[in-house]
Amino acid sequence: MVSEAKADAMDVIESDLPGVGKKHEVELGDGTSLVIVTHNTGQRELYLKPDDDSDSEKLVELSDRLARMVGTILEGAYFQPVQSEHVETMLTEGTLLEWYAVEASSPLVGETLESAHVGRKTGVTVVAIQRDEDVISAPDSQTEIEAEDTLVVIGDRESCDAFETMLTGDEEEE
Amino acid sequence: MADLLAIGALFAAIALASLLAARIGTSVIPLYIIAGMAISPAVAGELVVGGYDVPAIHSGEFVEIGAELGIVFLLFFLGLEFNLDRLVESRSRIFTAGTIDLAVNFGAGLVLGYLLFGTPLAAFLLAGIVYISSSAIITKSLIDRGWIANDEAAPMLGTLVYEDLAIAVYLAIAVALVTGGNGVAGLAQSVGLALGFILLLLLVVQFGGEAFERLLQGSSNEFLVLRVVGVTVLIAGIALAIGVSEAVAAFFVGMAFSSTTHVERLERLLEPVRDVFAAVFFVWIGLETDPVLVAGVAALVGIAVLVTTPTKLFSGYLGGRAYDLGPRRSTRVGLGMVTRGEFSLIIAAVALEGAGGTLSAAVAGDIYSFTVGYVLAMSILGTLLMQYSEPFERVAVERFGTE
Repeated sequence: MVSEAKADAMDVIESDLPGVGKKHEVELGDGTSLVIVTHNTGQRELYLKPDDDSDSEKLVELSDRLARMVGTILEGAYFQPVQSEHVETMLTEGTLLEWYAVEASSPLVGETLESAHVGRKTGVTVVAIQRDEDVISAPDSQTEIEAEDTLVVIGDRESCDAFETMLTGDEEEE
Repeated sequence: MADLLAIGALFAAIALASLLAARIGTSVIPLYIIAGMAISPAVAGELVVGGYDVPAIHSGEFVEIGAELGIVFLLFFLGLEFNLDRLVESRSRIFTAGTIDLAVNFGAGLVLGYLLFGTPLAAFLLAGIVYISSSAIITKSLIDRGWIANDEAAPMLGTLVYEDLAIAVYLAIAVALVTGGNGVAGLAQSVGLALGFILLLLLVVQFGGEAFERLLQGSSNEFLVLRVVGVTVLIAGIALAIGVSEAVAAFFVGMAFSSTTHVERLERLLEPVRDVFAAVFFVWIGLETDPVLVAGVAALVGIAVLVTTPTKLFSGYLGGRAYDLGPRRSTRVGLGMVTRGEFSLIIAAVALEGAGGTLSAAVAGDIYSFTVGYVLAMSILGTLLMQYSEPFERVAVERFGTE
């Protein structure tokens, strides 16, 4: 079973390990590959394979919780060295789950989801609002958007792009 | 000795054995067996220390049922982790490697069994005992040695999948042959019943997926475990009651559950349950073993080790080649597959059922003692071969090159 990942023609080879879990081999480009063994128990093992003929060298073993945390860091959820205003996750082919930070200058501040016609104009659905330590899940149409909120939205790429334009207010400047 | 106290001592012995196994870096299976032998009437019962009899633990009803549950859960897990799609997906390679493995080792076992024990049934049992590698020990060693991330893991795990399916069919026939009536008609009837039962269970697996899914829907961890244990043990019990292998029934129940969306949760939650009862099974094997009898068949064990180590090396090597691996990695496949363990012991337990019936008591006892000695030798030898694989790999590369 070979599944191709997108971007940079990266090859990720997935294979089953009966009774153990799954193995993912990520080619790093210079002949080495990163081998991730995911146990059914949730345990992850990371190996580095210098080339096709060599034995894999074990780098580290992570519990499920640790692995997820490391994964989130790698994904850039805590710190994004490249300027990017949002984090996105692919739910299914074509549907994205995205996080958007609302800046104080955004035209959406002070509007409700209804008054801004978010759904009608862009096609996305706001599924949650992170405000300080709280999460407002499934906000209703009267929920007011505040500065510093993080909006969690679902939609296809086009809708998400439209929403980003609306959020930053770029459309009015142009 | 009070019953609860005896069971407590038994579990304490298991805990000690597992601790020791971890300390010396070997598999738990041989140590569980040795622990069972140590606390058995045949060893502890004979000891007198400072004028006092050392108390021994007898395998009462609880231990016997516990051991039976161990077999049920071992096979249940095999079914749970068995994936028919996976087998179909890479069928040509698994089929090639698995069939070579079956032909070479089962074939050698048939000849060896007939030469050593002289009856066709004993030959059939011995063939199974020397054919089936130990999924438990091999998988654990693969992880411990880090080979799991290498290419040699695929043919090893693939061959084990083939063996798992083979052993399910084999056990059904073996139980029918051992417990079946005398004469051709009686045999045909019990084998027919066993195969009919397999067919029925296959239909359940094929068409019952939704029912199994509904059974587990929305259940908490507690309910999930209880429902699965309830279904599995009940069906295994029904199988045994009508004279079909309970292990095979458990295998197919596991397979049915493997198609549900809860499979990963099931594996996680039921693993400790399996480990506890599997440990009871191995200790029970030890309890039933008289070391004197094992010593009596030492020569047979020696011959079997000398014959069936090279056969697994050979079939494993060819299996690796079937997966397009070079000589070095193919050698590792061979070395890794040498380990025999839990399934050989399950077959030995089947042989014991036939004592005085289809097998003479002497032959059944000999096969049992032989298997215990054989598994002790092969589980330790196999782990050592994996640990010190380098000289073998060097020889292979010198002889066959690197491609």
